[in-house]
Amino acid sequence: MDTSAIIFYAISAFTLAMGLMAVTSSKIFRSAIWLLLSLVGIAALYFWMQVEFIAAIQIIVYVGGIVVLIIFSIFLTQQAGTKMPKALLRRTIGSALAAFFGLAFSFNLINHYGFKSTGSQHFNASVSDVGTQMLSTTEHGYILPFEVVSMLLLSAMIGCIVIAIKPPQEHAEKIGTKPENVSSPEPEEEKVTENISEPLITTEV
Amino acid sequence: MWTDFLLLMKQEMAVIAMIFILLFMKLGRDRSNESFMNTMNVLLLLNLTLGFIGNRDGVLLNEMFRTSKLIALEKNILNLAMLIVSLQSYSWLKTHKHVPEFYILLLSSLLGMFFMISSGNLLMFYLGLEMSTIPLAAAANFDLAKRRSSEGAMKLIFSSAFSSGCLLFGISLLYGTTGTLIFSELPHLISNNPLQLFAFILIIAGFAFKISVVPFHLWTADVYEGAPVAVTSFLSVVSKGAVLFVFVSVLYKVFSPLATVWYNMLFILSLLTIIIGNLFAIRQENFKRFLAFSSIAQVGFIMVGISGGSDVSTASVIYFVLIYVFSNLAAFGVVALVSSVTGKENISDYKGLYKTNRTLSWVLAIGLFSLAGVPPTAGFFGKFFLLIAGAGKGNYLLIGIAALNIVISLYYYLRVVKAIFMDANPTPLQPIRIPLMSKLAFVVCIAGVVTVGVASPIYDYIYSLIAQMQ
Repeated sequence: MDTSAIIFYAISAFTLAMGLMAVTSSKIFRSAIWLLLSLVGIAALYFWMQVEFIAAIQIIVYVGGIVVLIIFSIFLTQQAGTKMPKALLRRTIGSALAAFFGLAFSFNLINHYGFKSTGSQHFNASVSDVGTQMLSTTEHGYILPFEVVSMLLLSAMIGCIVIAIKPPQEHAEKIGTKPENVSSPEPEEEKVTENISEPLITTEV
Repeated sequence: MWTDFLLLMKQEMAVIAMIFILLFMKLGRDRSNESFMNTMNVLLLLNLTLGFIGNRDGVLLNEMFRTSKLIALEKNILNLAMLIVSLQSYSWLKTHKHVPEFYILLLSSLLGMFFMISSGNLLMFYLGLEMSTIPLAAAANFDLAKRRSSEGAMKLIFSSAFSSGCLLFGISLLYGTTGTLIFSELPHLISNNPLQLFAFILIIAGFAFKISVVPFHLWTADVYEGAPVAVTSFLSVVSKGAVLFVFVSVLYKVFSPLATVWYNMLFILSLLTIIIGNLFAIRQENFKRFLAFSSIAQVGFIMVGISGGSDVSTASVIYFVLIYVFSNLAAFGVVALVSSVTGKENISDYKGLYKTNRTLSWVLAIGLFSLAGVPPTAGFFGKFFLLIAGAGKGNYLLIGIAALNIVISLYYYLRVVKAIFMDANPTPLQPIRIPLMSKLAFVVCIAGVVTVGVASPIYDYIYSLIAQMQ
């Protein structure tokens, strides 16, 4: 095992450990911070592969953008400080087993596939190459996904705004007294909607 | 080059244009809801007619986008369904605060489906799929004051995030083992090795979530129940139809080396889907949940057709989706109207509907007959062709059980029809005035249910388009 491999395993272990902490922490704000560290670990992996540009993007977009957004939405829900209820032991064991067997299963498959090593051949894509390819219409051009993503973000943003916007008071009352609400005796809550804006963004990018 | 772009992508361009027209209208002076809805209905009608003119085959941007007459037809079916949904949501949207946003969300979702259907690359396929579900999650929350609506939206976004996770993991394994994302190159590189099989299973799981095949169907009923009826009908008809179209082409083209594997998988999944969909539909009391389970069962029948793996299967699936658009939207249209006027959504509320609302009763009954597959309606021919296509493989056990399940499904569809026409109810629903838009939608649906089954040129046309592709 050479130094490079040792560094790889160290970074992976760090990323996984932080990910585990993010999932198991009982305070939601701490989870977000653990997630941040886990994403930094992934950026380190990119550095290790010597694709510095991608690593920088990873830090700017995920660490700088997404996690900050997540933290924002946590604070917007007003319950940032409260501890989440402890998960049932049954569920903890179940999910740990599922994760373990999933990992073992995919590790086994990948291990037996026999990937061919590409040797020490590095792909050195310069920033300008990445930029040109992203907006090129020819071979290996990614202009269409690029444009489609912008439409997707537009609609996600409109969706967020519609959900999060507070209806004027008298309108809410008018709807609230409609007969279809018989099934839900609890007072209507707008809070639930705040959480939605978060997965809307994070599942995508 | 530019004319190519404009001509081949014209359906996408039209949808994008509509989205921007809505944005600018929203930014401009205050308009009444009616003016928004009328403009949109006219534009959607224009869009539908435009879709039939001057379709060509072609590939753009290194196979990121491909189109053919068949794909254009599939998009037109979705356009038609979108138009009907828009007409039917008239009475619900009339009092809503966010009409333009509602249309923007549905149109973005439609745009995502178009890109997904046209994709020749797994990246574009994934983007299209995401774009077709994320706006819908926001739209499912459109009854802003209702808790159930938020709950449905949350369930939709979580389950779709999970399924996207499965799908992405599968795609990444496939990319890792083959080194390409392009549909036309993949079949030569896929073989029967365990890792690629695992990737295949994950990708299928992603699909199965979206079309709610049985082990992955748990979100369906809750989301359908919580979401506003217009969104529910869009989810059950348009997005399901779009994913089915892609499912067929991905299975038949990309995964053609794994044909025996997916045949066995479809065999088990389709039976499970039909049986569980049917059994749960029997015990539903809420009309939307009832239609949710009935739509799960319908997907099971479609998968029987897909398992045939021939041109006939593709044709019968597209044909069935067209029929399904008409019959399901007929049923949903009535539910939408009744729920927006009276707020009632339970099957027991529909008892004695025939006494007070004759037209609605007949529309609902014809829609349900077609869903059940009762002979003179189109639904019968649709299911018949699906079973014939499935029988092409010679697995008569599958066909036999599926046919038996048609009989079971008759029970619960007719139970609703009995409630409408025969059950006595001292306090039936009040007479409901049908707005012009809903009337138009009903006429289109009923005309579709009555004619599509009998008019053989439609099936022949679909089949000829598929035969041309070879």
